[in-house]
Amino acid sequence: MTKALRWWWGLLLAFGLIAAARLFVPLPFLIEVLIFSIYTMGCNFLLGRVGFISFGQPAYLAAGAYGTAFYLFYFGTNPYIGILAGIASGLAVSALVGPLFVRLRSDYFALVNLALAVIIYYLMQKVLADVTKGDNGLWFLTRMTSTPLIDIATPRGFFVFALFVAFALWAFYKYLDDSIFGACCLATKQNEDKLEFLGYSNFRVRLVAFLIANTTTALAGAMYAVYLGFVSPEIASPHRAADPVVVTILGGTGTLYGPIVGAVAYTGMKDVISKLIGNWELFIGLLLVLIMLAGEKGIWGTAQPYLERLFTRRKARGVAAVRAEARR
Amino acid sequence: MDLQLLVPGIIFGLSIGSIFFLMAIGLSLCFGLMRIISLDQLLYYSLGAYLTYTVSVASGSVWLGMLAGIAIAALASLAVERLVFPRIYERELTFSMITSFGILIGGVGIIKFFWGVVPRPVAIPTLAQVNILGTSVPVYRLVVIGIAALVFVAIWLFLNRTIIGKAIRAGIENVDHVEGLGINVSRLFTITFIIAGTLSGLAGGLHAPLIMVDPQMGLEVLAFVFMVVIIGGLGSIKGTLVSAFLVGQVVSLGSLVYAPLAQMAPFAIMLLILLVKPTGLYGSALLKR
Repeated sequence: MTKALRWWWGLLLAFGLIAAARLFVPLPFLIEVLIFSIYTMGCNFLLGRVGFISFGQPAYLAAGAYGTAFYLFYFGTNPYIGILAGIASGLAVSALVGPLFVRLRSDYFALVNLALAVIIYYLMQKVLADVTKGDNGLWFLTRMTSTPLIDIATPRGFFVFALFVAFALWAFYKYLDDSIFGACCLATKQNEDKLEFLGYSNFRVRLVAFLIANTTTALAGAMYAVYLGFVSPEIASPHRAADPVVVTILGGTGTLYGPIVGAVAYTGMKDVISKLIGNWELFIGLLLVLIMLAGEKGIWGTAQPYLERLFTRRKARGVAAVRAEARR
Repeated sequence: MDLQLLVPGIIFGLSIGSIFFLMAIGLSLCFGLMRIISLDQLLYYSLGAYLTYTVSVASGSVWLGMLAGIAIAALASLAVERLVFPRIYERELTFSMITSFGILIGGVGIIKFFWGVVPRPVAIPTLAQVNILGTSVPVYRLVVIGIAALVFVAIWLFLNRTIIGKAIRAGIENVDHVEGLGINVSRLFTITFIIAGTLSGLAGGLHAPLIMVDPQMGLEVLAFVFMVVIIGGLGSIKGTLVSAFLVGQVVSLGSLVYAPLAQMAPFAIMLLILLVKPTGLYGSALLKR
C-alpha cells in the first residue's frame, strides 16, 4: 500500500510540476511536451519492456492523426469523437500489420516498421491525394465545435485535457508494469524459451503489447490533429522516424518517467539550441552516443538512484523521529 | 510500353541499383562479420557527396572531387571505428543500431555546420549521350554502372583470392575459429569497416551529380539501402547484388507506370518477401553470437 502511494505521489508531483510550469513556460511548449511524451510512451514500452525497437512509429502516429482528421473534416464536428476515431483507426492499422510484424526478429522489425511509415507517407501524399488533399493537408480548425466540461478546441482547454490523458496513460502503464502481463512482456524480451515453458504464447504477448503501444502512439497522433487543427502527410515523414527512439533513450529506456523527462529535454534542447546555434542535431547525436556508451541509462535512469537515496534517507529519518516521539 | 522509354528506364534503374549496391555491400559485410547494423554508413555517403561538391567547385574536376570524397569517407570511418565501435561489437544488434544512428545525426549536424542547409548542385562530369537501340542515354549513368561492376569484381577477387578476404569470409562463418587461428580479429573488423565506409563514400560521390547534395541526403536513401540489404538477406553478397538491381529496376520502371508507385512498390515487395522468407532472399539464419 505504501509502495503504491509512493508512485502515485511521484506521478502527481511530476504532473503537478508540469501544471505549475504553465505559469512560466509558454503553453505551446507544454502541450508539445505532453503530446510528445505520450508519443514516446508507446515506443518506450516496446523498446524497454518487449525489446522491440521501431523506426516506424510515424506510421501509427499518422494512422491516428488521419483517423481524427477524416472524421472531423468529412463527418462530424466533435473533437472528442474525432480522437476516438483516431484511436480506432490506429488500433485497426496495428491489428492489421501486427500479426505479421511481431513474428520478425528485432532488427527486421525496426526496418519493416520504417517501410510501413514510408508506405503510409506516400499513400497519404500521392495515392489517396483526392481524399487527403495531398501536401496541402486537411484543415478543420474552424469546423471543431466547443465541447462541454473541457473545451479542447481552445489551447487552454486542450492543455488540461492533455494533462489528464497523459496522467491516465501513466497510471495505466504503471498498472501494466505491475501486472502479470507486464512480467510476461519482460520475459519475452529476456528469454522467450522460458516464457514458452511457462505456458504463455510469445506471439500473443508480443501482439497484445504491440497493439497497446501503437494504439497509444495513435492517440498521440489524434491529439496532434485536434491541437493543430490540420493534418498533412508530413506527420508520417520518415525523416522524423527516429525521434521517439531518441527521446526514449534520452529519458531512460523502460523507466516510468523516462518519456516525460526525455520529451522535456528533447523539446527544450530543440528550442533552445536551435535558437542559440541553430544546429541541434549535432548535440542530440553526440548525446545519444554518449548515453549509449555510458551504459544506456538515459537522463532519468541516471538520476533515479540519487533521487531515491535522497528520498529514502529523508523518509528513514522521519520514521526514526516518529518512533522516538512515540517512545517518549 | 514503348522502347523509347524502356531503354533509358532500364539504364536509369541499373545506375540507381549500382549506387544502392555500393552502399549495401558494406552494410552487408559489416553485419556478416561484426554482427552490427551500422547506420553511420549513410554519413560517409553524405560526406563523400559533399566533398565531391566542394572539391569539384574548387578545382573544376568532379573526378578529383570523388577521390577526395572517398579519402575523407575512409578517414572518417577509420576514426569512428577506432573511437566508438570497439565498445559496440560486444553488444546486441539494437545497441549498434541506436548508437550508429546517433553518429549519423551528429554527422548531419556537422555537415550543416560546414555547408549549411541549402541543397547544392554538383556538375555532371560528362554530358555526352550515347545511342543505344535508337535512344540516347547519358554516358555518366553507364560509367556509374561500370564502376559498380568493377567494384563487384574487385570485392569478389578480394574475398576469394587474398588471405585477408578469406579470413573475412571465414569470420562470417565463425569468428571464434578465425581468432583461434591466430588472426587479429579486431584488425579484421577495422579493415572491413573501412572498406564499407570507402564504398559508401564512393556511392555518395557517384550519386552527387545525379541529385542535389543536401544534409538530409543520407536519411533519404537510408530506407532504400536497408531495403536492399534486407531483401537480399543480411550478410549475403550475392543477395545484395541481386536485390540492389531488383530494387533499382522497380524504382525506375515503376515510375514509368505510375509515379507514386516508384517509392512505394519496393517497400511492398520487401514486406511480401519478408513474410514468405523472414531472412531475405539469400540470407541464412545468421544469429547474434
